[in-house]
Amino acid sequence: MANIGIMSFAHMHAYSYAACLKQLPGCELTAVWDDNIKRGRTAAKQFETKFVANLDAFLDSSLDGVIITSENMKHRPMAERCAAAGKWILCEKPIAPSVADAQAMVQACKKAKVGLGTALPCRFSPPLMEACTQIQTGEFGEIVAASCTNHGQSPGGWFADDALSGGGATMDHTVHVADLLRWILKKEFVSVYCELGNQLHNKEFKTDDVGSLQLEMEGGVQVSHVASWSRAKSFPTWGDVTIEFIGTKGVLWVDAFNQKINVYNDAAMKAEWAYWGGNPDLGLVADFVRAVEERREPTVTGLDGLRATEVTAAAYQAAKTKKRVPIKRTR
Amino acid sequence: MKVALIGCSGMGNVHAQMATNCGLKVSVFADKNIKIAKAIAKQYKGEAITDGMAACERTDIDIVAIATPTPTHLMFVKAAANAGKHIFCEKPFCRTASECKEAIAAAKKAKVKLFVGHVVRYFQEFEAMKTQIAAGKIGEPGFAKLYRGGLLPMGSESWFRDFEKSGGVTFDCMIHDLDWLRYVFGEPERIFCQALMYTKRVPFDYSQVTLRMKSGLIATVIGTWAHPHGFQVKAEICGSGGMIQFNSNEAPMAAMKREVKTGPDWALPSSPVDISPYQLEWEDFIGWIRDTRTPRVTAHDALRAVQMVEAALQSAKTGRPVAL
Ligand SMILES: NC(=O)c1ccc[n+]([C@@H]2O[C@H](COP(=O)([O-])OP(=O)(O)OC[C@H]3O[C@@H](n4cnc5c(N)ncnc54)[C@H](O)[C@@H]3O)[C@@H](O)[C@H]2O)c1
Repeated sequence: MANIGIMSFAHMHAYSYAACLKQLPGCELTAVWDDNIKRGRTAAKQFETKFVANLDAFLDSSLDGVIITSENMKHRPMAERCAAAGKWILCEKPIAPSVADAQAMVQACKKAKVGLGTALPCRFSPPLMEACTQIQTGEFGEIVAASCTNHGQSPGGWFADDALSGGGATMDHTVHVADLLRWILKKEFVSVYCELGNQLHNKEFKTDDVGSLQLEMEGGVQVSHVASWSRAKSFPTWGDVTIEFIGTKGVLWVDAFNQKINVYNDAAMKAEWAYWGGNPDLGLVADFVRAVEERREPTVTGLDGLRATEVTAAAYQAAKTKKRVPIKRTR
Repeated sequence: MKVALIGCSGMGNVHAQMATNCGLKVSVFADKNIKIAKAIAKQYKGEAITDGMAACERTDIDIVAIATPTPTHLMFVKAAANAGKHIFCEKPFCRTASECKEAIAAAKKAKVKLFVGHVVRYFQEFEAMKTQIAAGKIGEPGFAKLYRGGLLPMGSESWFRDFEKSGGVTFDCMIHDLDWLRYVFGEPERIFCQALMYTKRVPFDYSQVTLRMKSGLIATVIGTWAHPHGFQVKAEICGSGGMIQFNSNEAPMAAMKREVKTGPDWALPSSPVDISPYQLEWEDFIGWIRDTRTPRVTAHDALRAVQMVEAALQSAKTGRPVAL
């Protein structure tokens, strides 16, 4: 039985991961800690577990693994505490806003000999897994280009505050696609150009809310990506992850969450898409639980998280300098 | 008014019909392939010839319509202007911006009307998007994503597949979207592009653009000639108060023939409407000749569109953003 704790419910994904822990056999949501005590207590109550206000006590406890779902800028200090306490870690994406922080986290976990996973659940999405399989069998020939999107509705709050998030929509919505392409194509990113805007929310944000990226991968694969919080409040769903792969033998289009029924509910006065597809979070959390039990690295590693952060950080640099920026791989 | 049509295949067929719909008589059909000219001349009871330059000089003609491959546009525009004819020229205006300027100068000197067929400005779905934006339905627009293309077209003597001639999907196809963005959102600031035609030796093209407008609006534009079949247009405009989406796959009609023609086929997107956008551009052109209206698209707009795609291709070549 793996004892898993959750650190911080700042990120809404915490609620989904908690629900997964409740649902999965062989694990338990043993404790919750949060620097926002009220939020932590409420969540602990909701998921019928205990809230531990003292961080030392939380980390001294019988926990085997910890899921970190705090604000991006707090990932590193929290991960370092967990590593020092010998806990396996699953960290919300982006693993950290800066390359230096992400690197430090990878190093700390290596030194403490604990597993570090990055919460990039798209790798557990059935349509994306199928796309990966089909492309890796070579049915579409060599992939020479791809155009991607990761749109969302505005999460607001700390997400739109640079000091806590380290960046806006581009920080939030580039890493999924960057990781998917690395995973599926088995290639690394080499350069990025980017235009950023803070222009979809009347400048209420202290971050960008849209980014248009042009990336290059090893072997000259041409990739474009749109990262945004462009989905209107009245949009029928939260957003999307889409990729169009252009191969020498064909084209593969995947709209990962386009498994829905259209619902027209007069009480809501807006059309809604009710999703009926698989739950990628469940695959992610199940993998983490197994990694804890088997004392191995989670499938999507801290290094994968670092690689994705390298792409995002370079994109911000490119937007600032208005130049194409090389993406350096660090250790 | 009488029309001479030069280039009588894909677009030539469309323009013969549209000019006729507008009450014009298409009386001369010029195509270097006489078989093609004869077939259409028979249908419209006109005369078939092979020499486009001779068509320009005919004294019994008022309008020259040019629907030949892009690299030939300039010589026909100049010949028609010198002969005092009004001109309808397919997009892309000419193969280079300097050719466009030459064409504009020739028309100006001859005091003839020179119209370039940027037909997307006349497409009902694009006009509907423009109207909704202008009505403030999405607040202040901040981002646009446009997507266009499908199968790599063939054309006569496979000219589309010779990227020197056609300029690839960026120059020939994406030009529609870049023109429309400038039409709706004003002048562009800088452009970055990746296009397969400059790198991979693949028998198709795929082009991806990031564009910044002077207004601050950001656009991602995708052009594809990489698909094994089909043609699709997608558009999305996002603003501070909402968003707009269009997808040509969600059309009122879908047809599947049991007998499938083999080999690639160049199909225009079709969604039946009251008046074809290709006819609307002819109506605009004719109204301009008669001095009853100013057209939605000018030769200067068409030049700017060519400058935008040239900048995109320069960016694709150098790997750097290009200022506009
Ligand atoms: N607006 C649109 O939607 C749209 C769509 C397709 C093409 N186009 C443009 O229209 C133009 C024509 O394209 P198309 O698809 O009809 O090409 P096409 O190859 O199908 O037709 C061109 C015709 O011109 C003839 N021709 C070639 N050179 C000639 C010459 N020197 N003199 C006389 N005839 C000549 C060819 O024999 C052929 O019949 C191009 O500029 C293209 O970019 C516009």
